[in-house]
Amino acid sequence: MPATVYLGGHLKSFSNGELETALDLDFSVLDDVLDALWKRHPALRDRVLDEQGEIRTHVNIFVGSEDVKRLNGLQTKVDPGTELHIFNAVSGG
Amino acid sequence: MADNKLLVLVGTAKGLFIMRGNGGKWSLEGPHFAGRAVYSAFFDRRKGRNEMWAGPTSWHFGADLSKSVDMGKTWDEPEERRIKMPKNTRKSLENIWQIAPGADADSLYVGVAPAALFESHDRGETWVLNKGLWNHPHRKKWSPGFGGLCLHTILADKKNPNDIKIAISTGGVYQTADGGESWKVTNTGVKAYFLPNQYPEFGQCVHKIARHPAKKNTYFLQNHHGVYCSRDGAVTWQECENGLPSNFGFGLTVSDAGSVFIVPLDSDGKRYTVDGKLRVYRSRDDAKSWEPLTKGLPQRNAYEVILRDAVASTGSNIFFGTKNGKLFGSTDDGDSWKLIEGSLPEICCVKAYTL
Repeated sequence: MPATVYLGGHLKSFSNGELETALDLDFSVLDDVLDALWKRHPALRDRVLDEQGEIRTHVNIFVGSEDVKRLNGLQTKVDPGTELHIFNAVSGG
Repeated sequence: MADNKLLVLVGTAKGLFIMRGNGGKWSLEGPHFAGRAVYSAFFDRRKGRNEMWAGPTSWHFGADLSKSVDMGKTWDEPEERRIKMPKNTRKSLENIWQIAPGADADSLYVGVAPAALFESHDRGETWVLNKGLWNHPHRKKWSPGFGGLCLHTILADKKNPNDIKIAISTGGVYQTADGGESWKVTNTGVKAYFLPNQYPEFGQCVHKIARHPAKKNTYFLQNHHGVYCSRDGAVTWQECENGLPSNFGFGLTVSDAGSVFIVPLDSDGKRYTVDGKLRVYRSRDDAKSWEPLTKGLPQRNAYEVILRDAVASTGSNIFFGTKNGKLFGSTDDGDSWKLIEGSLPEICCVKAYTL
């Protein structure tokens, strides 16, 4: 099943400059897709998730147009062909 | 010139700047880690190596411990981070506050928030959490200050690898005599005015400690209100505030000559230089008395804040940086000062070395 992950520009130094990653695998939830993404770009994992495996406070992941922190987090259901976006939040100073 | 061939690492809220001084002229490189806060840096020259370390933190993507082997031109960022809180701690790394050498030339220590100590005994190749401190029964009662719950100071004895002293805000001073297997609390005499019991065993908000370069058992402490000295190896502390306009402040350094430098701020309610005058205070008698140093420093409308790791020295060269992004330096043990840079981002740490 296909899924496409789009990365915010700040993350490209951890993905060899790649901002769009097409994945084709068996998945049912976000965690499955991210596991495949970490295999493609290992450095992304520690930047997107904290040591407890949670999405970092100031990182947002969208399945379609929905922020997964308002859904089921890493267990949010992902349908075939879904587009995912990983962005840094607008927080900062 | 006393400032020939100086290296100053300036960590700021927006990156690391590398400054080189030669005969009174300064060059600046950076920012490295642009946009990230750098609260810690260290230049490791032991065994003839020239390795720079820095702890940049992205408030979005977390904290790294990065190394440069080409004098800061390039920095590595391992795919898997060097410093990670183990899963079973149920904590995640917030910031790297201190990178410090151990007595053994291959040992390095890192202090972080949440208050924890990491150690490496192979030049930084591998790191482990110090379990003796993490399992200390006091740990769960330590509380965060405004900067988080941070282990911000590490003083390893230069000869005895088993002797390490640390400071935590808020927790206070702890030290080990067995290389980190066990830790004892040594805050006797240090006040915690913000607690019902103002002289508790632990819980003090110690902002910085430093040791005398020649007197093994003499230490100095800048507290959250209170300046102290110890003559017994940082075990008991006596108030040493004679001549100070305020006992509040953060940064502290001791020069090779044994001069102690602090920059008092006006109380924890205001936290800026007293009376709008930027005055460094120096003691040349082991903190029995203090004198203001003003030559070259603004004495009018100067409302500056100097953070806990933003005062540093090498030889008779003293440096400090402010939250307003000004870097000042002295090449004569504090007698006179010059503005080196005036518009850097907020300065979080300053580390000085003679090349």
